[in-house]
Amino acid sequence: MAQDRIKLFGQSNIQLLGMLGAIVAMLLVLSFTVDNFMTWTNITNLLAQVAPIAFMATGITFVLITGGMDISGPAVMAASSVIAVAFMTSFEVTTGVHLVLGCIILLIAGGLFGLINGLAIAKLKMVPLVVTLSMMTVATGLATVLGGARGLPTIPSTYAHFFNKYTVIALLIFIPLVLDFILVGTLFGRKVYYVGNNEETARISGINTDNVVLMVYIICGVSAALAGIVNVAIISTARATMGSQSQILDVVSAAVIGGVSVHGGKGRVRDACLGAFLIVGVNNVMNMIGVSDYYTTLIKGSIIIFAMGISSFRIYYSSRKRV
Amino acid sequence: MENKLTFQLNNISMTFPGVKALNNVSFSAKQGEVLGLVGVNGAGKSTMMNILGGLLQPDKGSEIIINGEKVKIKNPRVAEDLGIAFIQQEVAAFETMNVYENVLASDFEKWRKKGSLFLNKKAMKVEVAKHLAALDCHIDVEAPTHSLTVGEKQMVQIARALSQGGQILLFDEPTASLSEHETQKLFEIINNLRSQGYIIFYISHYLDEIFKMCDSVVVLRDGQKTGEVPISEINKEKLVDMMIGHFIETAERKVARDKDDVILRVENITGVKYPKNISFDLHKGEILGVWGLLGSGRSELFNTLLGFDKMVEGKILLNQDGELEEIIQKNLYKHVGYLTEGRHYNGVFLDMTIAENITSSDLERFASKGIGILNNKKEKEESRKYMKQVNVKAVDENMIVSELSGGNQQKVIISKWMLKDPDILFMDEPTKGVDVGAKAEIQNLIFDRSEKGVSFVVVSSELEEIMNLCDRIIVIAEGKLVGEVNRDDFSTEALMAGIVK
Repeated sequence: MAQDRIKLFGQSNIQLLGMLGAIVAMLLVLSFTVDNFMTWTNITNLLAQVAPIAFMATGITFVLITGGMDISGPAVMAASSVIAVAFMTSFEVTTGVHLVLGCIILLIAGGLFGLINGLAIAKLKMVPLVVTLSMMTVATGLATVLGGARGLPTIPSTYAHFFNKYTVIALLIFIPLVLDFILVGTLFGRKVYYVGNNEETARISGINTDNVVLMVYIICGVSAALAGIVNVAIISTARATMGSQSQILDVVSAAVIGGVSVHGGKGRVRDACLGAFLIVGVNNVMNMIGVSDYYTTLIKGSIIIFAMGISSFRIYYSSRKRV
Repeated sequence: MENKLTFQLNNISMTFPGVKALNNVSFSAKQGEVLGLVGVNGAGKSTMMNILGGLLQPDKGSEIIINGEKVKIKNPRVAEDLGIAFIQQEVAAFETMNVYENVLASDFEKWRKKGSLFLNKKAMKVEVAKHLAALDCHIDVEAPTHSLTVGEKQMVQIARALSQGGQILLFDEPTASLSEHETQKLFEIINNLRSQGYIIFYISHYLDEIFKMCDSVVVLRDGQKTGEVPISEINKEKLVDMMIGHFIETAERKVARDKDDVILRVENITGVKYPKNISFDLHKGEILGVWGLLGSGRSELFNTLLGFDKMVEGKILLNQDGELEEIIQKNLYKHVGYLTEGRHYNGVFLDMTIAENITSSDLERFASKGIGILNNKKEKEESRKYMKQVNVKAVDENMIVSELSGGNQQKVIISKWMLKDPDILFMDEPTKGVDVGAKAEIQNLIFDRSEKGVSFVVVSSELEEIMNLCDRIIVIAEGKLVGEVNRDDFSTEALMAGIVK
């Protein structure tokens, strides 16, 4: 049936297939250019590296689907981490209890940053880009001040032992899976799509759109905090520079390459995470085959424009087809 | 017009994946003719217009002949060069620019001063003033476009079409958002253009307009031409018959209501601008009409009552368990449905499936307790049920709403509110932009529901429709309640009396 064929190649499937293809190609390039790439250690290391970007891409997926934007992710990640580490190291002897409390504080801090973003955008109707740009600066500033000139002390190694790369990989699989389900399979997730597709219609349909918008920014903040938990384990401390501002480029491109529409209404967490895998992989490829940093940003930027071009072209094409 | 203008379409076909939108349609028009193009939603009118406008390419074998010359309209620019101009249904204008900039928007290049980067604004203004004067339309050429009324914006669009040297003008539902007065004005202009020798295609759902304005009419049904006749040789019944193949009877409203059973009482509701101090009662199973001219505050009444605009003053009482109790707007909304006037603006989720649209009014019903896992199977089953009840024509419930015709989109919205099954349904222009067949179906649905005890509050700009539909009509002018007419006393005079006063 022609109808079925159109369905198979239309919509998200073609994007998904394309992305899986690109990932396979990337792995092939890596295994040919780098000696002994296909080892267990290398693969698990790569996956663990993907986690922070994937978490932040997960959060921004919710935001992008509502038609919003949040570029404060990495800065919020750094600020929450600094707050939590400052707490953890403020005791004479840091025990396991303090570490657990620290993680909770980290998540709460991320959520609070998100809440502030969300309140400004949902209730005060401020422009998302402006709000989160300001939040990026504020959070970076806060992290710098709290981190102090000499930086924070390190935390006990039990933390890094607990969040080893296998735990991180488990989280990498588990958290996006849950959030993907929330987005696609639950009442709240559907409301996110409704708001992204047409906020006015959603309001008329009796949906409290302000709450949905508020919620997605909180989710975005918390997922940045999750990335913080992983990053703290890697460096055993926290500092403002751990969330370099260019990271947001990786996060947004992960989502966009994954087919999340910057116009709202479309996308999935699953695809954004695959996008994260791809973007981190590309970083690695270029690193390993010795491409200079200057070219790396150039190439990554081109990839984003290319991916967005494809999705825009699809919108254009499907509108041409319409009766 | 110097040369004799002729226009001919031969065997136009258009195939979309799986659908033949147009099948071998041929017709012709000659200089100074107003040709009506009618058909129900989905008959292929829009496709035809898009082909003429260069937005779609017809199948091989289709021929478009202008002045005896075979042409290929590859894109809108080519259409423009051939003198085909499109006056759209939803008036498109550059809101932040001036009138004259809008009129000449597509050929700024021509108005550039020689050897300079600047535009010759003086000459532009003179040119535009000339075109507007020809339309007997006195808008300040320097006025910002967003300050114009819908009717004036349409004039700007027509002026733009003429300034581009348009000779073949396509009007797509031009009166849909115009007031009575503006409509009359438009008709004068069209008559004027006719006498000057333009070819005019006129698409409208309002058959009265077709009879009033057109010289002949082409009827499309399911992509085929079912008739091409001079308007003098046909009557309304025959035309409808050609359009839908059979005539759908609208039911007569028969039931008299039990007057005691008030379900909603509104007291002194006042908004920021409109409405002003409006009070009324709504009975169970009643269809209450709200009549007023465009801009009289009809939509504002709904928006204020339902909590989308700010309510400055007023009291709302709802009958719950047999007693009228004051209720806040947020809670009231749980008991009502609201079909809005702007279908695309706030009626449908265009890029989502029919099922997702229908269930959006009461999604909680399909979600589990706690984290709210959706039951997609049940969602689709229920949607199918309502699609069948309301007669939505679509492949299945997974179809994307933007692929449906306007009438079917409207039916999807009605299905959506039927799923919620509210006590009161507010409808703002329920049949706007909907063809005759679907119109009758929608009216019958409203009757049927009201007999089952649902109350309706309906706004309509069509006098005939509102008088046919309602049990009682309240009249609004300048935001104030100026009259109330019962079904037995319905007449145009009675309804207009309050307004003209």
